[in-house]
Amino acid sequence: MINSILLVDDEDLFHLVFEDACSILDITLSLEALNSSDEADEKFKQWFPENPADERPECVFVDLNIIGSSYDGIELIRKINFEYGNGCVIGIISSSDDNQEIEKAKSAGAQFWIIKSDDIEPRLEEFRKDYEGYLNRTASFKIYK
Amino acid sequence: MIEVTKHTRDILLGVAKKRKVYIEGNFLKLLKAPDGDTEFEEYLRLCKEKDSTARRKRLQVTKQVQQQNKELVDKQKETDELMIELQQALESAKESEEEANQLRQEAEEGKDKALEDLELMQKKTQFELISTIVKVALYVIVGVGVLTTVMYGLALMSGTDTQIIGSTWSNMFGILLTNAFSIVGTIMGVKYATEKE
Repeated sequence: MINSILLVDDEDLFHLVFEDACSILDITLSLEALNSSDEADEKFKQWFPENPADERPECVFVDLNIIGSSYDGIELIRKINFEYGNGCVIGIISSSDDNQEIEKAKSAGAQFWIIKSDDIEPRLEEFRKDYEGYLNRTASFKIYK
Repeated sequence: MIEVTKHTRDILLGVAKKRKVYIEGNFLKLLKAPDGDTEFEEYLRLCKEKDSTARRKRLQVTKQVQQQNKELVDKQKETDELMIELQQALESAKESEEEANQLRQEAEEGKDKALEDLELMQKKTQFELISTIVKVALYVIVGVGVLTTVMYGLALMSGTDTQIIGSTWSNMFGILLTNAFSIVGTIMGVKYATEKE
């Protein structure tokens, strides 16, 4: 089970969907959801590098296009990985499957790309199975379709 | 995992029995029944089942709402697109109306010009007709005058009685001159009046 998850997504309804799906699948006990990349940025500024292990999430799911934010999910991943220290499992959760964006996410350090749909549970289930590999950095980038 | 004390366990079981209130949420997953306590184990299983059922229901409803929201957003997009098209059509209709008005104005101006030209042509024709009438009248007057004068001259030279032809010539000449001046006066009057209009 993942210790803590941070979800960055502008859609409040998806927060509920994700939280319930994670709870039903026993993926995590602690889930925090934020609406904008700016909020996430503020949090990461606090978590890294002063307090690297206590409060920061173990895994971060970022939406690609976060409406009302200064920058998109890929830029947030890049900042987390290259500015605040690469300390958590991080990837994209988006309804888009644009290859160009996927490549950009990979180069920003994303470890996975989950495609959002009505039936998110099977993808999260599959992700849970691969999680150990992401945590110890042995699993390669994967797209969950 | 957290193992609950006997006191807490009894309270939890009592609340569940009497008030049908059960533990909910992820905290439930951290609780562990003491070894061999099948009653509390059953209680935790029931709590988890209830929590899971509630979450599944909520997930289903949330997904439905999410789907409806998506549909609404799509419909809103369609409506916005239609509104833009409608706006463009209205603007186009307005432009067409303006163009039609301009064309109508031009047509009216053309019609006025054509009417003016027609009037001018009618006047020209009238003048030509009047001119012809005047010419013919003058020829008749001059012709009658010349004829009467020639007859009077012949009568004078042949020595015949000139009383009748003389008075006839005199009367005729007077009448002809009067008529000639009358015609000329009428023509001048008509011309003057027409020029003024």
